[in-house]
Amino acid sequence: MKRFLISLAAISVATAIAAPAHATGKMTCDAPKAQWKPIAALKQSLTAQKWAVRKAKVDGGCYEVYGTTPEGDKVEAYFHPVSFEKLLVSRRGEVLFRKK
Amino acid sequence: MTRHRLPDLLVWGGLALPAVAFVAVASTMAAEDLEDLLLPSGELSARLLIVALAITPFAMLLPNNGFINWLRRQRRAIGLAAFGYGVLHLVFYLIAMGTLDAVLTELGATGIWTGWVALALLVPLALTSNNAAMRMLGRNWKRVQRLAYPAALLTLAHWLTIHDGFIVALAHFAPLVILELIRILRRRTPVAATA
Repeated sequence: MKRFLISLAAISVATAIAAPAHATGKMTCDAPKAQWKPIAALKQSLTAQKWAVRKAKVDGGCYEVYGTTPEGDKVEAYFHPVSFEKLLVSRRGEVLFRKK
Repeated sequence: MTRHRLPDLLVWGGLALPAVAFVAVASTMAAEDLEDLLLPSGELSARLLIVALAITPFAMLLPNNGFINWLRRQRRAIGLAAFGYGVLHLVFYLIAMGTLDAVLTELGATGIWTGWVALALLVPLALTSNNAAMRMLGRNWKRVQRLAYPAALLTLAHWLTIHDGFIVALAHFAPLVILELIRILRRRTPVAATA
């Protein structure tokens, strides 16, 4: 029993140290990459809508944006890479909006 | 101060070193980008808290182990460092948020209030982590220090819920949970403990 628990602890330590960065799985988009519109265009469009974009990257085939909404909420938001449709907005782990 | 031996002073220095690096990096960043330092500073604080809490149950597994005995003497330094990096984590958060209004808006999120309460619980603990307070509080000192357990649970809740941290948080806390389980199992079967 003790040996089992100790090896479990060792495995979890190894996992904690080695946990790689990967797609978070919070949202996935499956549009073919050739059709994607540039991420800079999304930033521009959001800025025009009074968002403040701090960072934008790809996650799960979607564009993921860190920034502040026009309402002043600091959020993480997912957009479709072709239509730029808003798919998911969350703040500190709480979902504020999810596309139906 | 002269009671401290050189290796112990090196430990304090080593524990303070990341803080110097954090502040140096932070000073080159835009205020809102300090958001990017929240994960590493919070992670360091949580790791130190886990280590501080794990030392005693670990020592029960390996009695008379030189390294563990050395670690036991560093427990105060490690615990205080956990609190210190928690404070740094909060300072980065407040600067990144920018306004009180922004801070209050998200205060109700599970991932946020758990962090606030966890750090608040560590305040009396940190304030009494000195010999004078130990003498003054006597038997009650240990009661105050036990606040570390609810603080650790809230830290886990904070990490689990805040942002993509679920697996990593579980992996970090699992060793501590396992050590505490062994401690409880041993207490229930005192015969096995002497084997």
